[in-house]
Amino acid sequence: MTESTVTSESSAVRVERLSFRYPGGPDVLTDISFTIAPGEIIGLVGPSGAGKSTLLQHLNGLLPSQLPNFVGHVSNVPHVVIDNLPVARQTIAEVRRRVGFLFQDPDDQLFCPTVFEDVAFGPLNLGLSDDEARQRVRDSLASVGLAGYEPRSTLRLSLGERKRVCLAGVFACQPSVLALDEPFSSLDPRARRTLIGILKRFPGSQIIATHDLDVVVDLCHRVLLLDAGQLRAAGPTADILSNAALMERHGLEVPWRLRGEHTNG
Amino acid sequence: MCHRWPPLAKLFAAIAMILAATCVPIAHGPLVGIVACVIFFAHTLARIPLAYVARRLLFFWPPLFLMAISLPLSQAGQKGWLMFMTILVRGTLSFSTALWLVNVMPFDQLLATLRRLRVPDVLLAILSLMYRFLFVLWDELDRMRTARAARLFRKPSLWATWRSAAHLLGRLLIRALDRADRIHGAMLARGWDGRSRWIEQPREDRP
Repeated sequence: MTESTVTSESSAVRVERLSFRYPGGPDVLTDISFTIAPGEIIGLVGPSGAGKSTLLQHLNGLLPSQLPNFVGHVSNVPHVVIDNLPVARQTIAEVRRRVGFLFQDPDDQLFCPTVFEDVAFGPLNLGLSDDEARQRVRDSLASVGLAGYEPRSTLRLSLGERKRVCLAGVFACQPSVLALDEPFSSLDPRARRTLIGILKRFPGSQIIATHDLDVVVDLCHRVLLLDAGQLRAAGPTADILSNAALMERHGLEVPWRLRGEHTNG
Repeated sequence: MCHRWPPLAKLFAAIAMILAATCVPIAHGPLVGIVACVIFFAHTLARIPLAYVARRLLFFWPPLFLMAISLPLSQAGQKGWLMFMTILVRGTLSFSTALWLVNVMPFDQLLATLRRLRVPDVLLAILSLMYRFLFVLWDELDRMRTARAARLFRKPSLWATWRSAAHLLGRLLIRALDRADRIHGAMLARGWDGRSRWIEQPREDRP
């Protein structure tokens, strides 16, 4: 399988035997292991409630109650490693610098009154100088096709624009890994196309949790199939998504583009 | 034309008008009249329609009236009524001035100006988040109301209306708490460590 060919040295993300439950709840994730190579784009698919969002949040250390206090302690083996850096309490700032997280609802992520302030939020927290921060804002807004949007109010943007501003805010921190939670939900076709184009140009690794399997075919090198908190399948996109029996079993459908003989990649 | 004044001038003008409105004794009728005229003139300068101010005052007066009416009820004689009038007049004038300020000054400019005057960061963060999410919460409430109306096939009794309104508010509170959690996560994800950092937007980018 692809997993075994990727050595741990060259992995951008390594998840090892990760299990998780919210306090007092049932298991959300059970014994998950996978790696992502640098520059690789991974599609994370599965029915609603499979644990996709929870898994993504682990990549960014967003579930602080579960962070191990000391790396190397016997009972606190690191389960998530980003660029050879284990996710733990002491490393959390650096981990968040390396992993950019796009939330499902842009209203959760755009909390500043203007676009400029929101995109500048990350760079300023990284301790950049004012000039550098301004430069980053300019560059990252340009990279999502929203140059000149700085003075706009975050209240008066379309959903597609809001998602792109969020993404600019993430790009401004110059992450090496992107974790995207349902980036394409409720977007109209044009906004969806624009977003796909932006993601294709991003040089780092990406993990995209989505129900939009046609985008997965278009964008992702490999697919992880998650159901009921367990990793049910992993492999090249076409192999997994065209397996009708497997897809059916986990409440998914073979995307149109992989049905029949005609596939245009 | 007030819209293009320097931000500091607008803020100080508003503070001065509010101070004047709250310091002039109500017994000095003509003085109060002059202050009211100045405030009215400011509205005219900013081309704020009178109907707009009046509509908002209609929402402001009932709670103000309830607050003021307690005084003549508890204080015997003319003194109580004088205080009643004082509260009504000062409240109305201050409210009109605040309306003028929010109309001539975009909110981010107001925040930037307050920041330059070294208003504590925590206060500014609260103001900024409140302004941002008031609209989001309002939209959420609106959606819930629409959803309720869509399945309400007859006119409900008064009791049922109040009951469902209470449910709606409860749900909104829970949603707001959930959202606060997610916003906190989003702030952490971009390296927030509890300190506010802020830089001025480049001037040439402003319209």
